[in-house]
Amino acid sequence: MIRPAAGARFAPGDPVQVRDIEKEGHVRTPDYTKGKPGWIAEVLGAFPNPEGLAYGGDGLPDMPLYKVGFRQADLWEGYGGPPEDALFIDIYEHWLEPGEHGGEEKRP
Amino acid sequence: MSETGHNHPHEEPRDKRSPWASRIRAIEELLEERGVLSREEVEAQVEYMEARTYQNGARLVARAWVDPGFKERLLSDTKAAAAELGVDASGTIEFATVENTDEVHNVIVCTLCSCYPRAILGRPPDWYKSFAYRSRVVAEPREVLREFGLELPENRRIAVHDSSADLRYLVLPQRPEGTEGMSEDELAALVTRDSLIGTDVPHAAREANRV
Amino acid sequence: MKKVHDMGGRREEFGPIDRSDHQVEDWERVADAVNIVLNAKGHKTTDEMRRAIESLDGYREMGYYERWAAAAELLVVEKGLLTKEEIDARAAELEQRWRGE
Repeated sequence: MIRPAAGARFAPGDPVQVRDIEKEGHVRTPDYTKGKPGWIAEVLGAFPNPEGLAYGGDGLPDMPLYKVGFRQADLWEGYGGPPEDALFIDIYEHWLEPGEHGGEEKRP
Repeated sequence: MSETGHNHPHEEPRDKRSPWASRIRAIEELLEERGVLSREEVEAQVEYMEARTYQNGARLVARAWVDPGFKERLLSDTKAAAAELGVDASGTIEFATVENTDEVHNVIVCTLCSCYPRAILGRPPDWYKSFAYRSRVVAEPREVLREFGLELPENRRIAVHDSSADLRYLVLPQRPEGTEGMSEDELAALVTRDSLIGTDVPHAAREANRV
Repeated sequence: MKKVHDMGGRREEFGPIDRSDHQVEDWERVADAVNIVLNAKGHKTTDEMRRAIESLDGYREMGYYERWAAAAELLVVEKGLLTKEEIDARAAELEQRWRGE
């Protein structure tokens, strides 16, 4: 953990899913992750929200940030590499919802 | 406008120059005249960036290869480890180092812009900022690495890291075989800029002019 | 709908990666430095810069540092530090000065 994140909703190992929503303006959650299932690889801490900072706000309160892991095969249809290939991306808590349990055994 | 040596020298010939060159210079001049910033501050920042090169990363890697305690510190607090070697990466940006092993090969990208550990490594390569790299390395990393001349064993998994937030990533490559007895400086010379991003790996025998 | 800067996974659009490095021009160093100094002095944030870059109509066509210069202009005008007219005037003056060199 880089910075303390009191009240973080998720813990390492938790299955999560990226919310599949359209949001106007500046966001740091790319389209290719939306609606996809992954897991919490690491709790990185709490950071100001870039969606507020981008418009001159202070981005407070700090938002927990997570390193989220995905199997590449879950992100890309017809992914050409081995099933263990993974992608990690840093996602803010308000973009995550709990995922389904039972995916752990597939995790690389 | 007086030009002072390296930090504010001449511009490109007019026919090759972007129209934005005069606009950003105009902004710079006007802001200086208004006291918003000073010529010294701009020059100091230019110097700061010029002083930062991938060799900083190569030294971190070489030290981590020879000193297991340093390696632990590099992996757990990259900013502090950089400071130990005299690289000032202080600021609000955080850094993390991901380690290549026999099981996993790491590669870094910023699909949304061009986030890169500039305070340690300096400017990213042009290709890192390209739309082609940003779009393809997340979806077809093995093909992209092949383009860079890197073929990984099928049983080694790839971990792509998209630097989407406040962390900037460096790759700690594996120490090549056949480097026992090399000095730290010799080891650092094996570490390429691209191996710190993950599109290359260090080799024991290097051509002298390889980037 | 995908935003213009959201590049991840658009592999059908892009081909081989150009691995050449261009020589950094001095105005590009200035674009870089002015942006960092304005950030350091609290006049803008990295997040505002990204938002500004993402809003540029010419995002796809512009070069990397052109986007930085354009975003810096957008923000200094937005924040009332400078006006577009005075930037226009000074840029024209500089172009004339450079033609004379």
